[in-house]
Amino acid sequence: MTDTSAQIETFYDVMRRQGITRRSFMKYCSLTAAALGLSPSFVPKIAHAMETKPRTPVIWVHGLECTCCSESFIRSAHPLAKDVVLSMISLDYDDTLMAAAGHQAEAALQDTIEKYKGNYILAVEGNPPLNEDGMYCIVGGKPFVDQLKHAAEHAKAVISWGACASYGCVQAAKPNPTRATPVHKVITDKPIIKVPGCPPIAEVMTGVITYMLTFDRLPELDRQGRPAMFYSQRIHDKCYRRPHFDAGQFVEAWDDENARKGYCLYKMGCKGPTTYNACSTVRWNEGVSFPIQSGHGCIGCSEDGFWDQGSFYDRVTDLTQFGVEANADKIGMAAAGVVGAGVAAHAAVSALKTAQRKVQDNKKKEEA
Amino acid sequence: MTDATTLLVGPFNRVEGDLEIRLEVREGRVSAAYANSPLFRGFESILQGKSPIDALTITPRICGICSISQSMAAAQALADLAGKTPSPEGAKVAQLLHMIENASDHLMHFNMFFMPDFARAVYADRPWWDQVLTRFTAAKGSALKRAVEARAGLMHVTGLLGGKWPHTLAIQPGGVTRAPSVRDKVRISADLAAFRAYLEEVVFGGPLEQFAELATIVQLSGWTGGDVALFLAISDDLALDSSGCGEKRYLSFGAYPGPNGPLFKRGTLVDGTSSQLVPEQIVEEITHSWMLGQDAHPSRGMTRPDEDMREDAYSWCKAPRLAGETFETGALARQAIDDHPLAVALAAEGSVRARVIGRLLELARTQIEMERLLASIDPRAAFMRHVRIPDDGEGVGMVEAARGALGHWVRVEGGVITSYQIIAPTTWNFSPRDGRGVPGPVEAALVGAEVRDGEETPVSVQHIVRSFDPCMVCTVH
Repeated sequence: MTDTSAQIETFYDVMRRQGITRRSFMKYCSLTAAALGLSPSFVPKIAHAMETKPRTPVIWVHGLECTCCSESFIRSAHPLAKDVVLSMISLDYDDTLMAAAGHQAEAALQDTIEKYKGNYILAVEGNPPLNEDGMYCIVGGKPFVDQLKHAAEHAKAVISWGACASYGCVQAAKPNPTRATPVHKVITDKPIIKVPGCPPIAEVMTGVITYMLTFDRLPELDRQGRPAMFYSQRIHDKCYRRPHFDAGQFVEAWDDENARKGYCLYKMGCKGPTTYNACSTVRWNEGVSFPIQSGHGCIGCSEDGFWDQGSFYDRVTDLTQFGVEANADKIGMAAAGVVGAGVAAHAAVSALKTAQRKVQDNKKKEEA
Repeated sequence: MTDATTLLVGPFNRVEGDLEIRLEVREGRVSAAYANSPLFRGFESILQGKSPIDALTITPRICGICSISQSMAAAQALADLAGKTPSPEGAKVAQLLHMIENASDHLMHFNMFFMPDFARAVYADRPWWDQVLTRFTAAKGSALKRAVEARAGLMHVTGLLGGKWPHTLAIQPGGVTRAPSVRDKVRISADLAAFRAYLEEVVFGGPLEQFAELATIVQLSGWTGGDVALFLAISDDLALDSSGCGEKRYLSFGAYPGPNGPLFKRGTLVDGTSSQLVPEQIVEEITHSWMLGQDAHPSRGMTRPDEDMREDAYSWCKAPRLAGETFETGALARQAIDDHPLAVALAAEGSVRARVIGRLLELARTQIEMERLLASIDPRAAFMRHVRIPDDGEGVGMVEAARGALGHWVRVEGGVITSYQIIAPTTWNFSPRDGRGVPGPVEAALVGAEVRDGEETPVSVQHIVRSFDPCMVCTVH
């Protein structure tokens, strides 16, 4: 199946083995630089890193989830991103895509942990349900929470893919029947990168993982532990329908003329003004579109608790004003999120004039 | 092996979600099988107390691979509750989105979930092994790469019309939120053309119309193109036409409703005899499920997990029955109930081969239908109709997901959901035993499967289980 030699190859070796040409490799490096917002001068750096560094092994596990994150990931756009990243991480252990089954698969997980102790990244899709000793999600006869803790013990860092792993998502909605619990509540002694969204955008996923594999360090995170490069702006800030919002032109009903004209969906319950994500810039399915462009408001799926904020179609009413200066850092700061060890705190903070619901909620929580 | 031994097979990889199957093995054959869905999230209880329209956002998140099917069922259930139908052009767009998801699921299943098992070392002595190894080795094979690429291209359409996939939001009870422009139509038509080119070059190795016109198993055996031919060769060599044979009872809720009824008919097919489907005869039994309450029709059902996980039960999955019988659902059932002659012949066989070819046949037919449907969409028409959801009432949404019949039953009182019951395709196919001790379709199909000496994850069991294309996250939800 996979190589068993103790020496880990470089990314470039792996790619060559996958039949990826030099030309494609260089193209990939420039795409990566662009996706990460780095200047072209970084391209040779990325290339050099990939040619010389041993690849970082990745273990990808699935808890209580719907597999939408994997689905999104493998549909990643940039022609090569998916291919390259897939071969780079070689999915040392991933139970949706791998070949082995049953005990063989369990053994593969154990082997990978042993072989790369302290060096691998643990990518978690879904979350562990804690009710009834974790019996609502059993992997290989054992509760998923055990597998998660076991795999995390020797991981270098943990990536929480999607809203499930980051925050709980709809399965944690009231009454949270299984007590679905986000990863950072279970794993408390490792740096955790949250990549929320239901699912996250494929390019965001590949961007995050490429950054970590290439530079061998965590991307800059905001106070909630999300990579700042993708989660520092609100959907609303870069929404192509923003001019209609500013002009007071709104869709009032699904079937009205304003809907056809592409007016702002705020009155239809769009959560763009309170949601930090890259949908309005990176877009979906290879950059084709995003929910607002399809005429439906944003539901705020990359925000904590989006599933329990009243109806998805309720207007965001407790927002008194929308200051463009508010950024995710500031919001996160008030949210008093835990920052994982080794995470560079984002220093730049702009003035916050607005009272966001999140802030209020969290204050309430703190006071309680 | 003369005494009965027990094998525990799982976790299964390359399936959506988790699955574990306990096998009793006697003299090298499976003598009994017990399918366990070890993942429970409680969507039905989460939906209670929520606003009915929130079902449009919550239910798709049951599953990341068939989320549009869930959207369609939820939108249909809400429209039914309101006593309305979507605007005709809106319904077409929703249907196109649904077809794209179903087609891409079939493609994914063949390339990523099913074929890679033939690359196992146990088949190293077979004449076709080398070819399978290069094309279908899990996560690496050349066929897999092409399939993922082709599928991403096809998904441009869901991106364009639905905003994003997975978990598209555009589908509403009154239609869709996005009215495609003339320019969109041109783009979509280019995406469909690219997908057709891929299917004809790689998967079928010939014109789709020709494959869709195959009428007998003899004609099928003469097909020489693409990966289909490779599968047929493997199937002949391993006798997959006599492996994993089911009970030959099929049901379909009818796929893609139109003004003249569904495109692929609704009904049942039992031992070659077709009948009307009577949805009132559906009962979810819970004797062997870790569920409390009573056997009930889904409109009266409830979901209360048995936290003690009692001894005589073994799965979170309920056991749906139609008129007291187990039924198999999926592409094979759909195509056979739609009277496609090849599918009817295959349904009589009910084997691993039959299910796989049933899916490929549907893939070819769906592509042809998508092109027809797109051409008929009029961008000037209304794509959404106003639908007010009443504060009290009941609604039903019955659609066909890639893996088979999917039903949503909703009850609303005082403006909030008081009951929401879902039966997913894999709930039918992977159901545990019922009150009479009758095993579910997969459990029955596994009986007689070969277990070679020393095999811990018998390869024949892998083929049979995967031929049903299980989607475990949907099963229990």
